[in-house]
Amino acid sequence: MNCEYRQKIALYADGELGPPEQQEVSRHLATCPECSAALLELLEMKKSVRLAGSRFSAPPELRRAVQEKLRVRETSAVFWKWGFAAACCLLVAMLGVMIYSRQQRQDWVIASLVDQHVTNLASNLDHRVDVLSTDRHTVKPWFQGKLPFTFNLPEITADSPFKLIGGKVAYQGQEPGAELLYEIRKHEISVFIFRGQEGSSKLVHDRGSSFTVEHWTEGGLRFYVVTDANSEEVDQLASMLQQANR
Amino acid sequence: MDERFNKEFEQLALPLLDPLYNFACWLSGNPDEARDLVQETFVKALKAFASFQAGTNFRAWMFRILRNTFLTSRTGLERRNTSQQDEDGYDEAVVSYDTPELAIMRQADTELVQASIARLSPVFQEVLLLADIEEMKYQEVAETLAIPIGTVMSRLARARKQVREHIVDALGKKS
Repeated sequence: MNCEYRQKIALYADGELGPPEQQEVSRHLATCPECSAALLELLEMKKSVRLAGSRFSAPPELRRAVQEKLRVRETSAVFWKWGFAAACCLLVAMLGVMIYSRQQRQDWVIASLVDQHVTNLASNLDHRVDVLSTDRHTVKPWFQGKLPFTFNLPEITADSPFKLIGGKVAYQGQEPGAELLYEIRKHEISVFIFRGQEGSSKLVHDRGSSFTVEHWTEGGLRFYVVTDANSEEVDQLASMLQQANR
Repeated sequence: MDERFNKEFEQLALPLLDPLYNFACWLSGNPDEARDLVQETFVKALKAFASFQAGTNFRAWMFRILRNTFLTSRTGLERRNTSQQDEDGYDEAVVSYDTPELAIMRQADTELVQASIARLSPVFQEVLLLADIEEMKYQEVAETLAIPIGTVMSRLARARKQVREHIVDALGKKS
């Protein structure tokens, strides 16, 4: 009854045997009615189960819903991809505009300060400064009550090539600030100090108008040095001012 | 995730919609739940498609996601808790081979076979569905259910035996 091949019938019916075993079982089936009957019954059952078991097919609305879900993800992926690209472009454009407008504003400030410096040079000494003194301890206190901020002036020693002439109140963008006048070998140097943003920024050279302009931010103050003296001398004065205001 | 990625997934997965839905209906016994299972399977599979390794069995992967989704559903948990019956220690070597009942098997109508499949406990039913309806190889069934091939073989033998016994019994009573 229990033929030794019976255990292989299911493997044979399920196509799980390798070619040599498959052939071996085939040969055996030709001679064993018991195994042949078992195989036929199993194949019959497999067929019945396949037919009866394939009972449910996806309703059209499920197919639509699944396709919709795939499309939504696809659309949202495309949206995010292009949306991200567009947002990046917009950000770059905005940064460009900001940098450009900031640069424009800076250019405009420098141009107006150069104008003030030139106007000053053309004036009589009486009009160039409102406080006339080489002593920083006279000039600085003069600004008390006139400006909404305070600043320090560097000490000018006797052997220094620089000489403080005096100062007056200057305006820029309706903001009051200090305008200090220095001299180095007959060249006059205007130093403008206004309120600015907190933090500090590096020294920037600007020679766009044949005048040397150096500007930086330190301790919430904006410093502008405008002169026709050479840039090494401007650097030296700028460095003294930076040290005094640290 | 680009468009080509989605298209590739769609091409592989959409032909499996009917088989997955059929499997989900058998597992859950409820068309509404099956619909949800299938939708969740597609969403999960698409999300995880990036981690799907080319060359491995996509069909087994999809069926595994569906089955795992079912097992963590309320119905799945309930069925799992009530179906741990007399399976352990079963060995195909000790299956008794009854006299073939070809004539009786031929009399079995679709309704009776469906009832026989429905009576199976989930562990036997899922092996039978994957092997005989989806015509998966044992290896594929083993991958889908994350069980050894030996277990696939013994569960399949047992599932067939129970279906056969039920059919024989039902038809025997009728006659």
